[in-house]
Amino acid sequence: MIIYKARYFLRETVNNLWQYKTRHFFSLTIICLSFLIVGLFLSVSNNLRDRADDLSRNLVIVFYLEKNLPASEQDLIEQQVRQSPLVAEVRVVSPAQASEKFLQDFPGLKDILMNLQANPFPTAIEATLKDPRLSYEETLRFIAEMKKNAGVEDVQFNRDWAEKIQSLGRLARAVGFFLGGILVLASFIIISNVIKLNVFARKSEIEILRLVGGTNTFIRIPFLLEGLILGIAGSLISLLLLLVIIKLFPVYLGSSLGALQELISFRYLTLSQIVSLIAGGGFVGFLGSLSSLARFLKI
Amino acid sequence: MIELYHVWKQYEKPQWALSDITLTVKTGEFCFITGPSGSGKSTLLKTIYREVLPTEGQIVIAGKNILRIPDHKIYLLRRNMGIVYQDFRLLFHRRVFDNVAVALQVLGSPRKDMKRKVFIALRMVNLHPRIWDYPSHLSYGEQQRLAIARAVVNNPRILLADEPTGNLDPKLAVEIIGLFKEINKQGTTVIICTHDKELIRQFGDRILFLHEGKLLRKDAA
Repeated sequence: MIIYKARYFLRETVNNLWQYKTRHFFSLTIICLSFLIVGLFLSVSNNLRDRADDLSRNLVIVFYLEKNLPASEQDLIEQQVRQSPLVAEVRVVSPAQASEKFLQDFPGLKDILMNLQANPFPTAIEATLKDPRLSYEETLRFIAEMKKNAGVEDVQFNRDWAEKIQSLGRLARAVGFFLGGILVLASFIIISNVIKLNVFARKSEIEILRLVGGTNTFIRIPFLLEGLILGIAGSLISLLLLLVIIKLFPVYLGSSLGALQELISFRYLTLSQIVSLIAGGGFVGFLGSLSSLARFLKI
Repeated sequence: MIELYHVWKQYEKPQWALSDITLTVKTGEFCFITGPSGSGKSTLLKTIYREVLPTEGQIVIAGKNILRIPDHKIYLLRRNMGIVYQDFRLLFHRRVFDNVAVALQVLGSPRKDMKRKVFIALRMVNLHPRIWDYPSHLSYGEQQRLAIARAVVNNPRILLADEPTGNLDPKLAVEIIGLFKEINKQGTTVIICTHDKELIRQFGDRILFLHEGKLLRKDAA
């Protein structure tokens, strides 16, 4: 009996979805857009978080040395860095190596580099830290100590970057949830109204079902399924669109943004995020439908 | 058994649609309710299938006071009834088959069983050749027969009919009441509202005469 009823509900739902296809298409579009916004921001946020994690995993302090620093002084600074208990590994990057790496990373800027009279890059000492969880204050003290050295022109510590990128990721996620939240709320209201219209359009049918002995649940299930299907379909389509955007975005951008492109590129959602978005769509649809039935289908 | 005790119904003051109706319809009885338009025939039927709640009084069906059944359980009462409405209440965007099948769908009947029962019900009212038509393509009389088929398809214990022959020609009207009589012979209690005197004369075992909401006569024809 359950199978026969399930078949009936499914048939009814499909018939109803088809019968009022224009209004359903409209609500599907809104749901899809809402979840696409959430998905896009989640995707950017994922990318930023991963970048920040990469940076955190390889915490490096780069000491840029004065130009034309005598080799003996350069060795002295290198020794000083090596002796620090915080440092795991030290690598000296010569101006020629730095120039080569720059050309690899930014091939588009080759001409600018070639037009310069001399190599603009200084010698750098890259010190990889032993443990990413080392005390920030201790590291800063070490940097300050090294800065006192006359041969050290500048210091770059990528932990600052990691933290900034992480904050940016959190911001992207918050903006996504805020904008998406507003749109999801709009989806909820739209689904609720679409189901309300459907209830009114089928008032006589509902009346007949009641009079021939249909239970409240029997009458309500097709409407609830309509909301559920609209919600799930909307979020599924939004995930497909997101995939298309992720594939097409790098092609559209080309390499014009250089390193910045790495930061704003999209990364597809994690499995748990995909499942959450689909479940969220279904939940919004179901709830929208339920709220409408509670108000307009009092049996 | 259907028992009504001092049933009153008022839609708007000061008129009473039903005034102190007390009557008993025994199981398996074939009964006509007659009276002029506005006498309360339809209201009386509606109180029996609880579409309308009486202002006062009690209604007991098969030993149960139906006014005490909670709204969400009312389907249990209606599943034992077949109702033919004055305005047919058909689903005009569904085919003839679906209009009859709806009474079985709410019970979760298997499709095969449903097809068989729907065909039998439609054959009873001689509408089986039109099974895949839409009600809008049927004549007024055919629509009425379709409403009857829906009412009888799940072999109800009680059959209530509000002017079931109102739009039929006399020959078909006799056939339809004959059909109700056949169903009644199988043990179904039948209550028919009509003001067709000829039918009452021909088939009336028991006649209830209503006038301005009052039951004037509850004896045999």
